[in-house]
Amino acid sequence: MTTTSAKPPAPAVAPAKAPRGPLLTLVRGTPRHRAAVAAGPVLALAALYLGSGLEPFRVGQLTSVLIFAIAISGLNLVTGYTGLLSIGHSAFFGLGAYTTGVMIVSYQVEPLLTLPVAAVLCFVLGFIVGLPALRIRGLYLALVTLAVGVAFPELVKRFTDLTGGAAGLVIRSRQLAPPQWTGLGAGQRYLWLYWVSAVVLILVIVLLRNLTRSRLGMAMLAVRDNELSAASSGVHIASVKTLAFGLSGAVTGLAGGLFAMYVGALSPDGSFTLLKSIELITGLFLGGAATLYGPVAGALAVVFLPYFTADLVSGHVSGILFGAVLIAIVFLMPEGIVGRLGATARRLVRVESRPGTPDLPSDPTPRAPQGDARKK
Amino acid sequence: MDIFLERLFDGVTNGTVYAIMALALVVVFRGTGTINFAQGEMALFTTYIAWALTTQDVPIWAAALVACAVGFLLGAITERTLIRPVRRRNDMATLIVALGLFTGFNALAGLLFDADTKTLPGLFPGGQDDYLSVGGARLYFDALGVWLVVAVLIGLVFALFNRTRLGLHMRAVADNPESAALSGVPTGRILMLGWGLAGVIGSLAGILIAPLSSQQLSLTTMFPILIYASAAALFGGLDSPVGAVVGGLAIGLLESMLTGYVDVIGGTLQQTAALVVIVLILLFRPTGLFGTRQMERL
Repeated sequence: MTTTSAKPPAPAVAPAKAPRGPLLTLVRGTPRHRAAVAAGPVLALAALYLGSGLEPFRVGQLTSVLIFAIAISGLNLVTGYTGLLSIGHSAFFGLGAYTTGVMIVSYQVEPLLTLPVAAVLCFVLGFIVGLPALRIRGLYLALVTLAVGVAFPELVKRFTDLTGGAAGLVIRSRQLAPPQWTGLGAGQRYLWLYWVSAVVLILVIVLLRNLTRSRLGMAMLAVRDNELSAASSGVHIASVKTLAFGLSGAVTGLAGGLFAMYVGALSPDGSFTLLKSIELITGLFLGGAATLYGPVAGALAVVFLPYFTADLVSGHVSGILFGAVLIAIVFLMPEGIVGRLGATARRLVRVESRPGTPDLPSDPTPRAPQGDARKK
Repeated sequence: MDIFLERLFDGVTNGTVYAIMALALVVVFRGTGTINFAQGEMALFTTYIAWALTTQDVPIWAAALVACAVGFLLGAITERTLIRPVRRRNDMATLIVALGLFTGFNALAGLLFDADTKTLPGLFPGGQDDYLSVGGARLYFDALGVWLVVAVLIGLVFALFNRTRLGLHMRAVADNPESAALSGVPTGRILMLGWGLAGVIGSLAGILIAPLSSQQLSLTTMFPILIYASAAALFGGLDSPVGAVVGGLAIGLLESMLTGYVDVIGGTLQQTAALVVIVLILLFRPTGLFGTRQMERL
């Protein structure tokens, strides 16, 4: 009698209902875990190398993916991690592009040297945009960023002497030729720019990875999730917001500088209007806000989705599809492509601490807000 | 003096159009807690429908009515099928849906009605000689007509909010959805009606502005108006209909006066100047002129 009642429940039923366990368990610090961790960068580098071997047109497309990924990473910092919606990132993108453009055209500066200048200028602009954030919040703050986004093309047109105004600014391709030491000819400019963008993107991702796990990164998440709680826990809201805007602007400005080298001709109404901001926001949420690699996935979608659907009826179908995909994403995977992949990976592969060490959370990467984040 | 008056009339005409668009945004914001960035493009779409009807010899007044009806349906259906399921999750989700609708509706209008600029007949006589002379300045009938329509519309919206049971329900849902639901207000239906109402107001804005706009009716007509309208709504305070009207007029006037009288701004920096002034004012009143402060509980 007692033996039968102590019997475990029939095993035939249990596996159907219980969630499946991880397919693979890795122990932190073991060779297998190290191999798994190293696999990501190795695969990414391999993909970059394969990409460089494609025909020039495709390499150009991939370059614009890399540049977009950098720009969206910048937006991610302020909108994804800090929770401040910016509709004005087209201005940072534009300021970076025009800084590079004007320095090359008017002062014959070596193109690569203009990138740090673009980043610094955009940092300063970002810092200034962040200042009103100390008093203004939510959608009202979005209006401030909107003002910056509207102002940029108008200012470019106003200061015609410097920027070429509405007619545009053209960089001669001779000035964009790869430097001597690379051994690339002037006709291989596309390859040079591809690798420059790739290196900048890698640097930006490493920087963001470290930044989001630092004290400042944690403070940004705290501000996003609940500003009042953050303040009462000793987070200095003012400096977090202004720094987030500054750094975010700097990263997007870098992308702008690369973009100037990529297109070679800048015009205020071409790529630096509010529609560019909307494109960046779309890429961010499609890829996954507050994820490290979301911007890369988002950039792929933003560049290739319109391209593949453009042959159908003059681009309008592409717009409809784009809108539909955006809405579908919110319904089907609100955490974005990378957020969803990350969740799936965490379900399939479990990372455990070595026995005897304090149990670390299996993945310290900050996640996008889940559940009810709506403020009352 | 007459130049001043002409600038004043210009400013008021633009301002009234911004004001009604802002009113549509405020009606949605009060119920849903977010700015509907697709409002302008939905209005664009219904304005195109009105245009398509006028090419079939339907009088513009009737076409405008049809467009408003479609606007109502579009708003209500959008709320029910796309906004309500994600609204509770977070504000960003609603925003992304709105961005998707923005792109989608613009492209749909382009696909169905092609990208060429259309000429929509005005609701009012709009000839070169149809004007009143006021102190030497010309006040055109079509501008005057827009003022009248907007004044009547604003009156109706206020009567709706303050004098009817439906308006009371709308205010209750905006104020506190849970309490409203507990008191027996059909919250869902009220939200749908709110979005439908915003759709009607938006359609009206589109039909009024298209004949006056320098761009006439094209795929880019509504975007700048939406930008100004959101600025107006924010300036006035997102949850205040009075604020939307005051904000719209203020932006229209700021735009035309700054352009006219400040040389540095000239014809190129008008949008920037108007927005910068608003940002400066927001620094002193962070929730707009008539907005209520959000209280937060930890």
